[in-house]
Amino acid sequence: MEHWLYTFNILGHSLTVNLDTIFTMWFAMICLIIFAFVATRNLSVVPSPLQAFCEKLMGFFQGTMDTMMPSENRQHIPLVASLFLFILFANLMGQLPLRIIHLKEGELASPTNDINMTAAMAVVVLVYYVAAGIKKKGVKFFLHDFSFVSIVMALVELLEMVTRPLSLAIRLFANVFAGEILVSIALAASAYFAPLPVMLFEILVAFIQATVFMMLTIAYVSSAAGEEH
Amino acid sequence: MENLQLAQLGAGIAIGFGAIGAGLGIGIATKGLMDAVSRQPEVAGKAFGFFLLGAALAEACALYAFVVAFMLLGK
Repeated sequence: MEHWLYTFNILGHSLTVNLDTIFTMWFAMICLIIFAFVATRNLSVVPSPLQAFCEKLMGFFQGTMDTMMPSENRQHIPLVASLFLFILFANLMGQLPLRIIHLKEGELASPTNDINMTAAMAVVVLVYYVAAGIKKKGVKFFLHDFSFVSIVMALVELLEMVTRPLSLAIRLFANVFAGEILVSIALAASAYFAPLPVMLFEILVAFIQATVFMMLTIAYVSSAAGEEH
Repeated sequence: MENLQLAQLGAGIAIGFGAIGAGLGIGIATKGLMDAVSRQPEVAGKAFGFFLLGAALAEACALYAFVVAFMLLGK
């Protein structure tokens, strides 16, 4: 839960980074890149078990996209799929015994227990869906039919641009963080046995939160770039 | 009272009231799941997926309160 803060100076400005988050994030990225690289070698018509698994996974993304965003959805799959896989890897990493590697300060855990990490992903989603909306509808993305109600709605939608990434970031961060606090409380109660059910529950939470983040991303992109209802 | 004690009181109140809302939300979601499954048992698997999603969204509200409580304790 503690972070290893490291401050360095760039052009007179001091910049603080959480080194443990960066290490674990790189670890998750390397795992994902190796997984993607290995899975796409030697593709064949009769799939190997790994290729069959990846095809199932792709079918899951396409099925979710089709149910939530009926038309022109294939171009958004790369972002959605990589967000899902990265968050899943990152959340599951929290259950690995990484804490036996001692750092100078802080500890290695899942990178999503740092609000900076989740906020960065939420900002990526915000920029992506605004860009997708502008690409699809041009300036009309910001304009709706002109009426008195639309003035109020404009304020609400302006507010949404802040609250959507905020809730995305805090939801993921708080779930992972609360899980770690729960494990540490169970650990204080009775070592070795009490944390086990909590950690099993955290594995479920890892899948659910990755799915929730993906679903909300699809919903936002769909509301920005989808067909008018 | 000292400031620290006030902060601890505030943290307790925050997580308590936050948990009320999330508890109500998850309860209503479970009721909806039970209604759907008892009316149409064949949709159980699909409905459970949506239930987990909705429960996670409702639970997030309690977690916002948890974050606020933790920030109060960290002062």
